[in-house]
Amino acid sequence: MAEIPTIRVTDLHKTFGALEVLRGISFDVQRGSVVSMVGASGSGKSTLLRCVNHLETATAGDVLIDGISLCFQEGKSAPRKPRSLAQINHMRRDLGMVFQQFNLWPHMTVLENVVEAPRHVRGMSRAQARDIARNCLERVHLADKSDVYPARLSGGQQQRVAIARALAMQPKVMLFDEATSSLDPELTDEVLAVMRDLARDGTTMIVVTHEMAFAREVSDHVMFLHNGLIEEQGLPSEVFERPQTERLRQFLNKAQRPR
Amino acid sequence: MSESLRETLDLALLWEYRVVLLKGLTMTLGVFACAAVLAVAGGLVAALWRVSRFRVVRWVGTVHVEIARNSPDYIMVVWVHFVLPLLLGAIIRRRLEFDPFVSAVIALSYVYSGYFAETFRAGIEAVPRGQIEAGRGLGMSERKIMWRVILPQVVRRMLPESVNQFISLFKATSIVSLIAVPDLMYQVGIISAQVMRPMPLYTGAALVYFAVVLLCANLLGLLSNRWRNKVFA
Repeated sequence: MAEIPTIRVTDLHKTFGALEVLRGISFDVQRGSVVSMVGASGSGKSTLLRCVNHLETATAGDVLIDGISLCFQEGKSAPRKPRSLAQINHMRRDLGMVFQQFNLWPHMTVLENVVEAPRHVRGMSRAQARDIARNCLERVHLADKSDVYPARLSGGQQQRVAIARALAMQPKVMLFDEATSSLDPELTDEVLAVMRDLARDGTTMIVVTHEMAFAREVSDHVMFLHNGLIEEQGLPSEVFERPQTERLRQFLNKAQRPR
Repeated sequence: MSESLRETLDLALLWEYRVVLLKGLTMTLGVFACAAVLAVAGGLVAALWRVSRFRVVRWVGTVHVEIARNSPDYIMVVWVHFVLPLLLGAIIRRRLEFDPFVSAVIALSYVYSGYFAETFRAGIEAVPRGQIEAGRGLGMSERKIMWRVILPQVVRRMLPESVNQFISLFKATSIVSLIAVPDLMYQVGIISAQVMRPMPLYTGAALVYFAVVLLCANLLGLLSNRWRNKVFA
């Protein structure tokens, strides 16, 4: 049965001035699957992820969430009308974003960070939002840090709080933008462990990462981006073990060299 | 000690007129409190204008700030009291007169709203972009992000700097006697004229300003540090 994909990206283009960062990218993410994007710095993978939740406005193309356009209003008018900020905000509730730099709010405790969106975006009661927040903090093994301010946490802990904060909105998809890239190697593992758990629990995920071993282990589908295009894609076993293009071969050689 | 120096430091005169002077100080504090509240509120509004998405609104904010902080408060007080009522009166075609207290508060809060606006704006722009994107990513509206993510941090960050501005504002209230607001300086002037001994009174007034500022500024500094340290460790 042809199921509607949770995320469908169609012919996405993004230019910054004269610079063409994305040059026509299309892919689907099915419910419960994990899609990884790998590629060199500047290949466009972060920009692609940021277009998926409209932090960057795509120059052309569209993103469909459960079949509904993120970029354009419904209706047959041509050219199609772009969505208003309010509509985009509404749709973003379904997209949980985790950033490289964690971006926790320093003036709120861990629990307050996680409670904020369910309470003030979804409009839940305080008790309900707290329940969900505690639950999410437990999933990232930080329930005991609820009343601590982010400044007192390690990078790995901060990133796990950021994951809990995104989870608390109960999004349809979790987007990870190089979630471990600014962490020391010994802190990377605790974050990857949490992401691994999420994948195992059937969370739909798009993961931009430099951790090849992780991508290979958890992904259902891997895409290799180069110069704003999907150069190669497929099952992790295919992509990592039998790269078809010279570029991917070179990239993997570099990436898998011990640091 | 020379006779004239002793006379300058003869604070007995201050004590003799303590009731009137205290009344003046109360008025000074009243002008300060009202002007401070309005200046902070006006400053916040102007700062929000200056970071608005819309160019026209940004422009209005910039004009406000530039006029406010580039006008001497002395002239502003006189202008608000004597010219503004005429201007407004011409518009509504009625004779208009401001109470000196009202004029003083309007003038000082206007001038100082310019300073506060810049402090607010600097604070708003200092919040890392990533925190704003985190809010957007969760579906928060720009307004929610401003009020729940940005401004709470701005207030904490700007407190130390705003202490200086509150001090300036407090001292600036000493010019309102110019339009006959019966503040501390006004009383000092009146008494000096009666007893013909201005020096001890002015010295005493200086000490009073000094004491009030020292006390309040330290208290505020203490409070703000305690509040900040919890968060920006």
